[in-house]
Amino acid sequence: MRRFRLICALIAAFAAVPLAFAASNSADVAHLRVQLVFPNQNLNTGAPANAGLYFKLESGWHVYWENAGDSGEPPHIQWTLPAGVTASAMQFPAPQRLPLGPLMDFGYENEVLFPFTVKAAAPAKPGSFVLHAKVDWLVCREVCIPGKAELDQNVNVVSGAPVVDLTSPSDQELWNRLANAIPRALPSSDTAIFQPMPSGFRLAVTTGQRETQAAFFPEDEDVLDNPAPQTVTPTATGLILDLKKDANLTKIPAQMNGVLELAGGRNYEIAATPGTVAAPPAAPAFSFAALASTVFFAFLGGLLLNLMPCVFPVLFLKGLALVQSGAEERHKLRAHGLVYTMGILVSFWALVGLLLGLRAAGATLGWGFQFQSPIFLLVLAGLLFFFGLSLAGQFEIGLTLTSAGGSLAAKQDYMGSFFTGVLAVIVATPCTAPFMGAAIGYALAQPAAVTFAIFTALALGLAAPYVALTLQPAWTRMLPKPGVWMEILKQAVSVPIFGTVIWLTWVVAEAYGANLLLALLSIFLLLAIAGWFLGRWPAQRWATLVAVLLLLTALAACITAPRELAEAPSEKSALTSVGAARGAWQPWSTDGVQRALAAGQPVFVDFTASWCLSCQVNERVALSQPEVMQAFGERNVALFKADWTREDPAITQALTALGRSGVPVYALYSPGQSDPQLLPQVLTPGIVLDAINKLPTGAATPVSAVSSKQQ
Amino acid sequence: MKSLSCLAGVAALAVALVPVAAGAQAVVGSPAPAFTATDSHGQTHSLTEYRGKYVVLEWHNHDCPYTKKHYASGNMQSLQKEWTTKGVVWFTVISSAPGQQGYVTDSEENAYLDQMHAVPTAVLMDPEGKLGHLFSAKTTPEMYVIDPEGKLIYEGAIDDHATPDVSDIKGADNYLNDALMESMSGKPVAHAYTRSYGCSVKYAN
Repeated sequence: MRRFRLICALIAAFAAVPLAFAASNSADVAHLRVQLVFPNQNLNTGAPANAGLYFKLESGWHVYWENAGDSGEPPHIQWTLPAGVTASAMQFPAPQRLPLGPLMDFGYENEVLFPFTVKAAAPAKPGSFVLHAKVDWLVCREVCIPGKAELDQNVNVVSGAPVVDLTSPSDQELWNRLANAIPRALPSSDTAIFQPMPSGFRLAVTTGQRETQAAFFPEDEDVLDNPAPQTVTPTATGLILDLKKDANLTKIPAQMNGVLELAGGRNYEIAATPGTVAAPPAAPAFSFAALASTVFFAFLGGLLLNLMPCVFPVLFLKGLALVQSGAEERHKLRAHGLVYTMGILVSFWALVGLLLGLRAAGATLGWGFQFQSPIFLLVLAGLLFFFGLSLAGQFEIGLTLTSAGGSLAAKQDYMGSFFTGVLAVIVATPCTAPFMGAAIGYALAQPAAVTFAIFTALALGLAAPYVALTLQPAWTRMLPKPGVWMEILKQAVSVPIFGTVIWLTWVVAEAYGANLLLALLSIFLLLAIAGWFLGRWPAQRWATLVAVLLLLTALAACITAPRELAEAPSEKSALTSVGAARGAWQPWSTDGVQRALAAGQPVFVDFTASWCLSCQVNERVALSQPEVMQAFGERNVALFKADWTREDPAITQALTALGRSGVPVYALYSPGQSDPQLLPQVLTPGIVLDAINKLPTGAATPVSAVSSKQQ
Repeated sequence: MKSLSCLAGVAALAVALVPVAAGAQAVVGSPAPAFTATDSHGQTHSLTEYRGKYVVLEWHNHDCPYTKKHYASGNMQSLQKEWTTKGVVWFTVISSAPGQQGYVTDSEENAYLDQMHAVPTAVLMDPEGKLGHLFSAKTTPEMYVIDPEGKLIYEGAIDDHATPDVSDIKGADNYLNDALMESMSGKPVAHAYTRSYGCSVKYAN
């Protein structure tokens, strides 16, 4: 029994912990390379020399920060040094949050350097020595593998100028590139205080500027609930961060120690002292002036929506109906206008109600979210296709726009007006026109009553042109008299409708693959057959029945096909929406942006979706233009594309943080500044070039400035 | 206008992130949350049945190097033997989700118990992670001790040597032993909550 245990222990010791013996300063082991970094192997007596422990990790694997979070262990180093030589403790760069199911770890991916200093003093005599380091670490992806290595570093102790140059360019490069990730002390002009709250802590930090992004990494374990989201409230001179405490925390710490990571790759060492934090403005203080101006902008945005390519065909149809109604009495015209307005209002309210409800339920959604549902895409494409068939003359539907007079028909007309309004809203949503983005961002954060007021203004704006026509008979008289031309026009309108169908079909193919495209085309075929029955045998009960059955089959296909046939999202689809210069764009991630900023690069983020027409237009006419791409290249701007075609909570959150809830959004970050510059939602090459040219010159941190940090 | 909408966005985020009220959670010093779970022989156990006895919960993942440390050395088995003979109820809990490291079927787990000569009272199979979430179990191994009144008196690491090395077991301060011995002799538990070490519990993602 005892022998069995001993054998087991030995097996475990060797199997579980792959030990790398190396008489060199580096070791390649499972999932990583570990190396001692000595930019200069000459140690001048009395002067501390820069050194570091470097890990190069396989993609997806990470090692840990000094507080590893919910699980994990930081790397350790244990020295055997010649007499007189001392090594300082390793410093830890600012980590990143590594979510793992319900848990949250803190650590590093890709590569990391832990700097330290080595000093030789008496009794160390000039000559060459070996510094022996025992290093251990835990490297994890989904699974964890502990590792160990013994590393030997040759150094030469000198007093005065060294005889032989022992600088290592590759180590110098590593040190210069990575050692500046160490958090700096908070400048003495800035303050950090914390106040215990019932569920955690409220941390207030001043930096002299408004901070919109922050993450706090607690140095002490078991103080904070690590996975809990940290809520940032920007203040005029800094930020307030709401942190949730560990459920088992019984004693309030005397100090809140840790690292605060801010936008632009700025990291500070924080030692917050207890104090009273002024309550952050819970919601933006309600101001009537702000509300009035937002309502005005919402109305203006609604007006502009009428000109959007998505809405224009619908408006065109409405105008057509107006010509036909021109013969009717004034009050009927007004009634139509009001019913159309009601259609728009009701659908806006329904959408907003749904959005608020889902938001309350915890889902992070944004404007245009309905286009992220393949079922919605299929139903809308099918509906428009069927509508187009009717307009083109294949058959007449009950809500036909040419039906005249009579109380029954008039009722149907009201139905028609109402649903035209509904349709206008549904197709308008992806064209988040200028003003809309800000208005919606503002509205969704307000009490429900204010939100509804704003969306009502938006709806009224959308309805206004048509209502104006119905209220001003003088203008209606200028419209041509009904005649055969109406039939021709009606058929002509089917062209833009089919155009919209083509666009939706492309969105489906782009986002969900060829199989779902096949399903959609088959749905079109079913609809065409249904239309044929309705057109060939009009008003026949059996033919209508067949058509209804076909329509139901098509609807069932819309609902079931996405589950069966939709392809998983691929990296490819995230990038193919850029026509040109595909290689220049990287898929967006907060880490990617932070890393680029930390490296001193300005960053441009294109928040886009393939169902967003204005996004496609902007990408083609502005972003992919050679002169724009060249300017991006010259200023070394890192380009990120955040593809919101499918639901992506991370992108939704990023949009919310920017005060927007829909695409397109274009954000230009420069290193060291917390707020990005937001570009307009309609881009020209000139707008983008101006913004690039206004980037502060020398934004890139000079790398050489870093190495002088040691005293 | 811009700053307003920015603020508004942040507030919206705050609203969206208000956590959904969770049920009773395990907090040291408070009554342990009640649970019912099925063991690797298909028998159900509920915490209330064991009122009057000490109950130890041990989170387990046989492939985790830190768990291996305590099983390959026989440390965990001897703790199980020692405390179960003293009337303590010892539940090993497996919260690895299917497809994740450490997930086992009932028969695989029973074979493992035989092979390792492990003697817990029972192994609770928790592939959905219900028990894990109830106790906020973070790592394997992670230990919990519930006293005869049903109060959670210890949560955290098995000992104070957070390494995967068998050689570190000797000389470590075993927090589990401390908690049980202190409580049984009527003393308060000195280290009632420690940071557990090891691999993360492999919940479904």
